[in-house]
Amino acid sequence: MDSEPVLLTKRVRLLISILIIGHLLALVLPPLSVQTRGSIGQSPSVSTALDFFEPYSQALYIDRGYAFFAPDPGPSHLIQVAISRPEEPLLEKMYPDRNEQWPRLLYHRHFMLSEFMHEIYQPPGPSEELLKANRQEARYWSLLRARYKHVHQSLVDHLKHEHPGDEVAIRRIEHLVPNLIDYQQEPIELTDKRLYRVLLDQPIEQDASE
Amino acid sequence: MNQHGSSVKNWLLGYVDAWDQFWFTPRQPHTLSILRIIAGVMLLYSHLVLATDLSAFLGDTAWVNNATARQLHDGTFGISDYGRTYLWFISSPTLLWLHHGFAIGVTACFALGILTRITSPLAWFLQLMYLHRLTGTLFGFDQILTYIVMYLMLAPSGSCYSVDAWLRRRFISIDRGRFWNWLFPEAKATVLANIATRLLQLHLCLIYLFGGISKARGQTWWDGTAVWYSVSNYEYQSLDMTWLSGYPRLFSAMTHVTLFWEVFYCALVWPRLTRPFVIAIAVAVHAGIAIALGMITFGIMMIAANMIFISPVWMQHVLVRLRRPSQQDEG
Repeated sequence: MDSEPVLLTKRVRLLISILIIGHLLALVLPPLSVQTRGSIGQSPSVSTALDFFEPYSQALYIDRGYAFFAPDPGPSHLIQVAISRPEEPLLEKMYPDRNEQWPRLLYHRHFMLSEFMHEIYQPPGPSEELLKANRQEARYWSLLRARYKHVHQSLVDHLKHEHPGDEVAIRRIEHLVPNLIDYQQEPIELTDKRLYRVLLDQPIEQDASE
Repeated sequence: MNQHGSSVKNWLLGYVDAWDQFWFTPRQPHTLSILRIIAGVMLLYSHLVLATDLSAFLGDTAWVNNATARQLHDGTFGISDYGRTYLWFISSPTLLWLHHGFAIGVTACFALGILTRITSPLAWFLQLMYLHRLTGTLFGFDQILTYIVMYLMLAPSGSCYSVDAWLRRRFISIDRGRFWNWLFPEAKATVLANIATRLLQLHLCLIYLFGGISKARGQTWWDGTAVWYSVSNYEYQSLDMTWLSGYPRLFSAMTHVTLFWEVFYCALVWPRLTRPFVIAIAVAVHAGIAIALGMITFGIMMIAANMIFISPVWMQHVLVRLRRPSQQDEG
C-alpha cells in the first residue's frame, strides 16, 4: 500500500463493495459446482446460487474449473486422418503433430482440439432399454450424440476443403503413458506402437476399444 | 447487554475498516504497467500465431466451422450458455482478415501503452470474442491471459512505462482538463489500481485452490507418481524427463510439493514471511511446465500473474536500479 485511503463516500464504497462481492461469487461458484458434483448431480445449494451468476460468468469466460492435470495425469487423445486420393497412395496424418504444427502454441491448439473430440464423445444410441426406461435421458443422449457427430463432420469438412476432391476419414486414437513400474523394469520409447489404441465408435454395450 | 452490543459493533466495524483498507487504499500502478507489457506482448503473440493459420480456426471452413461453434453454445445440443460472439456470423475471409488485423493493431497499442484507456478494454473485448469462437482449442494460457487483461482494463495501466506516459510528459505538462488527464493519466496511486490488483490476486488464489482440490481427488497426486506421469506424456513433452523414473524420491517429492503448494497458496501467499517461498515455488513449477511440458506461453503467463504480489514500490526501486548504470554510462 502506498498511502492513506482516499475519501470515497460511504455510498460509493458500498456500491463498489457489492460489485466486488458479486464478481467474487461469479468467480468461485463455477469451480465449486464442478467439485461438488456427485451422485445427485450438482450440489443443490451451489446450483441454486450459480443460476444467478452463471450468465455473467459464462459471458466473461470466468466459468472454468481449473482442473489442470487433474484428478490424475492421463493418456492423450489424438485424431488420425486417412486421405484417399485417386491413383495415389493413402495419406495418413496424426493430429497433433509437433513436426507439422509450429510454433508450439499452434501445435497446442490442435492438441486441445483432439482432446475436445474425446471429451465430447458420445457413443451411438440411446439403447432401446434407455428409451423405454427414461425418455428424457434418452433424448439428452441423442443431443450429445448429435453434438459429437456435428463436430466430427465439421472436422471432416475442413480436411476436405484442405484436400479438394479427396475422400477423408478420421478416427480417435488414445496414446497411453507407460505404467511406471513396467517402465522402470523395461524402459520403452514413448512412441512405442503398443501405447496407441484405436477408440472405436460403437454402442456402449460392446467393448469400445481395440 | 449494552457492553456486549458495543463489543459486537466494534468487532464488526473492525471488519469494515479492514475491508476498506484492503480494497480502497490507493496503490501505485507500476506493477500493473509491467504486467500490461507482458500480457500485451503475449496477447499479440497469440493473435500472430492464430494469423499463421487463420482460416483453420475462423470462418465456415475452419476445423470447428461457424455454425457448429455457435451450436455448441446456443442450446442446439441441449447445452446452452451465455458465451456469445459476433465471429460466429462472419464468413468472409476478407472480413476475418480485416478484423484480425484490427485486433493485432489494438493489441500492439495496448502492449506499447498507446491510448491505453481505450485500447485496454478493446483488447480484452476482442480477446473475449475470440475465446467464444475458438471453443475446443483453448487451454489454461487463454484463461490466465484473458483474466490479466480484464483486470488491467480497470486500472490506469498505461500511466507508466508507456507511450502514453511519454506523451503526457512531452505535451500535457500543464493541466488541460479532465478528459486529457483521464486519457493520459498521471502515474500516481489510485484506488482503481488497487482494486484491479486485489481482484487478480484473489482470482489467482482461486485458480490454485481449485487446481489443488481437483488434484487432491486423484490417486497419483497422493502416491507421488503424478509428476512422472505428466512428464511421460509424449504430446506434452518438450524435454525428455523420463529419466526421473530412476529417482522415485525426487519425482514423488516434486509431486507432494506441487499438491500442497497449490492447495495452500491462497493462505501462504499473504503473510510476508511465507510469500517469497510461495512465489519461488510458483516460479519453479511454472518454469518446469514451460520447459518440460511444452507450454511456454502458459508458464510465462502464470509466472507473470504471480508478479501481482510484488509491491509496486519495490518494483519501482528495482527498475530504477536497473536503469541507473545505463544512465551513468550515458553520462
